[in-house]
Amino acid sequence: MPNITPYGVMLSMDSLTNVLTAISHPTRRAIIGQLANGPARFLDVAEPFDTALNAVTKHLKVLERAGLIERRKQGREVYLSFRGEPLGEVAGWVHEYELFWNQRLNQFEQYFKNKKKKEKKR
Amino acid sequence: MNQSKKRIEFKFERTIPAPPDEVYEAWLNPRIPGNPWNAAEKFMLDPKVDGLFYWALKGTSHYGRFTEIERPGRIQHTWVSPNTLGEESTVMVTFQKQGEDTLMTLVHSDLPDHELARGHEKGWNYFLGIFREQFGNGSRKKYRWDDAHTPVRK
Repeated sequence: MPNITPYGVMLSMDSLTNVLTAISHPTRRAIIGQLANGPARFLDVAEPFDTALNAVTKHLKVLERAGLIERRKQGREVYLSFRGEPLGEVAGWVHEYELFWNQRLNQFEQYFKNKKKKEKKR
Repeated sequence: MNQSKKRIEFKFERTIPAPPDEVYEAWLNPRIPGNPWNAAEKFMLDPKVDGLFYWALKGTSHYGRFTEIERPGRIQHTWVSPNTLGEESTVMVTFQKQGEDTLMTLVHSDLPDHELARGHEKGWNYFLGIFREQFGNGSRKKYRWDDAHTPVRK
């Protein structure tokens, strides 16, 4: 069941725990970073890591359980792709004021950047 | 009411391409995009020590009182909303000259620490980096104030 709070509707705590666990390890974050560029074969994902394939497989299972990656078989190859939705849902859980002020300050900064550009054109 | 004693804070920095006095004035001008009052459907703003502000958006009200006003270097005020659980938090904004630019620092502190906020301590900044990459370019869902800012339901 989703939690309804002053911050909006949240992921169930189990799903949230899975996503947070998945991103808590640097290797898994590196895998997410790699797959964020586009789908890749299992061996290509494993290659940059100085660790046994078995260990990479375990990391992938954790990411899969969190819904952050998908496997797709194409012929003999297994392709992995990144799914951003669980991170997007977790965004609602991140403290609201962190999101609020980042959004406001980005707009404020952009206002001055645009103003400066206009002034240069004159 | 059983209130948590622990407080948390968030700190933000931006380099604004304008001198501090201009940035300071803009932060208190509701017509300039990005300051809190600019987001409001209704607002009152009296930026002097002991002056009050109020602003409301989508049925959620925010209140505060100015505690320090030092043009053009520093603005401090309290901040109360349903999302501070009705308690006073503190917002301090400083403007420091940095060459031709202004280093603007905003610290929102004294926020009540409750379960939803604690996740920040686990390193959410990394995570927000991913959000910016994934959601900030318009190709995916962007953060929207309305999505996260659901009024308190009883």
